[in-house]
Amino acid sequence: MIEVILLVSSVLFIFALKLFGRPSTAHRANTFAMLAMALAVFSAFNFDFSNYDPAFYITIVVSGLLGVLISKRVQMTQMPELVGLFNGFGGGASGAIAYVELSKSTLPLSDYFVAIFSMVIGVFTFSGSIIAVLKLRGKLNNVNTTIANIFSAFLPPLILLPAIWEEMEILSLEYFMLLSLIAGIIRVAVIGGADMPVVIAFLNSLSGIAAMSAGFIVNSIILIVAGALVGASGIILTLLMCAAMNRTLLDVLKGGFGGAAINNEYDKDPISTSPEDVAIQLSYAESVVIVPGYGMAVAQAQAAVKELTNTLKDKNIEVKFAIHPVAGRMPGHMNVLLAEVDIDYEDMYTLEDINSEFSSTDVVIVLGANDVVNPLARTDENSPIYGMPILDVDLAKQVIVIKRSMSPGYAGIANPLFINDNAKMLFADAKEGLENIIKSFELV
Amino acid sequence: MEATFLLTLLITFLASFIGYELISKIPQTLHTPLMSGSNAISGITLIAAILIYPEVGESQILKIIVLIAIAFATLNIVGGFSVTGRILEMFKKND
Repeated sequence: MIEVILLVSSVLFIFALKLFGRPSTAHRANTFAMLAMALAVFSAFNFDFSNYDPAFYITIVVSGLLGVLISKRVQMTQMPELVGLFNGFGGGASGAIAYVELSKSTLPLSDYFVAIFSMVIGVFTFSGSIIAVLKLRGKLNNVNTTIANIFSAFLPPLILLPAIWEEMEILSLEYFMLLSLIAGIIRVAVIGGADMPVVIAFLNSLSGIAAMSAGFIVNSIILIVAGALVGASGIILTLLMCAAMNRTLLDVLKGGFGGAAINNEYDKDPISTSPEDVAIQLSYAESVVIVPGYGMAVAQAQAAVKELTNTLKDKNIEVKFAIHPVAGRMPGHMNVLLAEVDIDYEDMYTLEDINSEFSSTDVVIVLGANDVVNPLARTDENSPIYGMPILDVDLAKQVIVIKRSMSPGYAGIANPLFINDNAKMLFADAKEGLENIIKSFELV
Repeated sequence: MEATFLLTLLITFLASFIGYELISKIPQTLHTPLMSGSNAISGITLIAAILIYPEVGESQILKIIVLIAIAFATLNIVGGFSVTGRILEMFKKND
């Protein structure tokens, strides 16, 4: 009976992934996955609920309620932090289980190594994710890479220490746990904010891998299957994010990107514009493309974006959104923020789909994005972002950049787009800038 | 190497392969709910916690550690599915 339930559960998980392939069917995917999860968890009890004391049930109910509460209260701009936190919880849970299994019994050799692996990955994911969340909240600045380099250099002798120093043997489990904990902290601490999409996706994958290996320890096929699915999903997103920055995963994890020589020199002054001029310019346009970036999320400008979109559409102006894969702090971050204010996902375009259209676009509005529209990625071989796929907004007839100052983006380099002949700067916070443009429309 | 261990490895490989094929087709628009959804699924490690909980024996420390694992995993499952549902609702009403 239990086997049948588990079979149904596995099939439901795979169907859920299939349904996730289209925005119109994705909400059903969630229902399928929930059902699959309920069956899988139920089967673990093996129809015998008497082995569990009140402490067990209280923990489940309280943490379940807490989960509902968090998920209802979180704002869409905070999704990267929430996913980061959940990555940490998943990894932490698997790590804790592996630790308990390792300390309570003598495992067969193959299981022993899987358990050590699960514990190390789980604990690493836990501490790394906590650091990632702190960074996303702006509570932690970049740490100098030297500390990480020193730690990495000493890691092999540190790992071998229990093997040579006999007195440490009793401690070695806790010792490995501590090493993984420190490794997670140091590894993520050196990576900069705009690399967070890669880090979050990578930790997501690790939390799946930790769960998968926990499945090996307790001999649960469903746990292995589900863990493998999460691991695969995280790896795909990690590689997509890396490709979108033209960097390798190893290079991202090394950290320290963009912190070096900041070159923000311009050989001429940008053309500054006013909300009134932008409104006039837009009212003469036939096609407008909006490029949102992290600045839109920081300024909470989504509602203003929607209002401007409505205003333009009322004037029969075509409005599209061009979303770079690494815009924001996690994969798909911008899409969710736009969907939240009811912008049709049919109007959201990926880099591949929209790049050929820029040359025939009348006005592009760059909203809090910087490095992902920097033409140096195409032209300057010495640039740190050379070869990164960018949105070719500089090819459009006119470009409006809404930005608070001329300060560089994450890569720490000047963006020649800002002084291009077809570009004008509207110096403002994303939300305030858009609201002023909308107000000016009413006067036009 | 037991035969069952190899069979399990085969299943792992097949699951990863199916996962890779299906997830590669998910559009960029849905990458955030994909991540929060997979957060929820990684909470499936709750199963392992349920399986080992009755076996921890007398040690109070180990029992507390398993309870922490249960709390983390449950939070992931419930919170993950709930927030994913919230996000996907926003995409649904666009139809």
